[in-house]
Amino acid sequence: MRRRVVPPPPAEAPPVSNTRLAMIVLITGESMLFAGLIGMYLVFRLSARAWPPADLPRLPLGLTTLNTVVLLASAVPVGRALGAIRRGESGSVARQVELTAVLGAVFLAVQGAEWTRLVRHGLTLGSGTYGASFYVLIGCHALHVLAAVTWLSIVALLARRGVFTRARHAALEMCAIYWYFVCGLWAVLFPLVYLY
Amino acid sequence: MIDPKRTGLVLALVVVWAATRALAQSCAMCGSSFGVDDPVQRAFSWSILFLMAAPYTLFGAVAGWLFYVHRRAGRRASVVELAWRRARVPAAEPGGQPT
Repeated sequence: MRRRVVPPPPAEAPPVSNTRLAMIVLITGESMLFAGLIGMYLVFRLSARAWPPADLPRLPLGLTTLNTVVLLASAVPVGRALGAIRRGESGSVARQVELTAVLGAVFLAVQGAEWTRLVRHGLTLGSGTYGASFYVLIGCHALHVLAAVTWLSIVALLARRGVFTRARHAALEMCAIYWYFVCGLWAVLFPLVYLY
Repeated sequence: MIDPKRTGLVLALVVVWAATRALAQSCAMCGSSFGVDDPVQRAFSWSILFLMAAPYTLFGAVAGWLFYVHRRAGRRASVVELAWRRARVPAAEPGGQPT
């Protein structure tokens, strides 16, 4: 009787890579930070007799809604970049990541302009709990967007140099996960701060 | 005849029911500082509820996802192992009976 020699199955990679696990830990920590800030906002918002106070300006809803669309739309190109590198098509990755970074920068620029107008109209960090909670909560998110845009720019640069392949693209994947987190967070903060 | 289990359950229910009001008062500060239906008290209550739910939701979601991923990987590994074992079985002789 002839026996076939079959090599044993190759040892599989762990189901969750170390980088992805680190990212989960980071995002969980960040989420708890924002949970604390949202808790602070809820205390001020729900205990206030009038919100916003009569002598302070209202937040610009139309412009921020458009800005929200820009930020949420920016999740599409980074997803496409991730899909392309997983299929082994690295040609369009850099362009897609750059587009995401540009949309993120547009979001930041519009928010900066909006803040400048609000400060001119008298809403500052010292304008009671309304101003303080708004700037701390939304400012903290803006800092995260800034960090993510910087990260995206570095990833785009690496993609231009052809660093990422189908087998090695952890940096791109982690950056995409972080960007999804930043977008998802805004999807919670926008209705809470601007609509509620 | 007295059923000890049933008696114990009824006693436990009575104790919990009697303690409900005292437990609901939470700390003395909140109990005495705010009036009935005070907005500040309500704001703190919602905030506390939110902050209490946040870590459980987050860690629960992450743990659930990790459990799912590991279970799926284990299932996949067992399929690969099974295919490997089958491949090792000698090829059946022509005209022979499968065993």
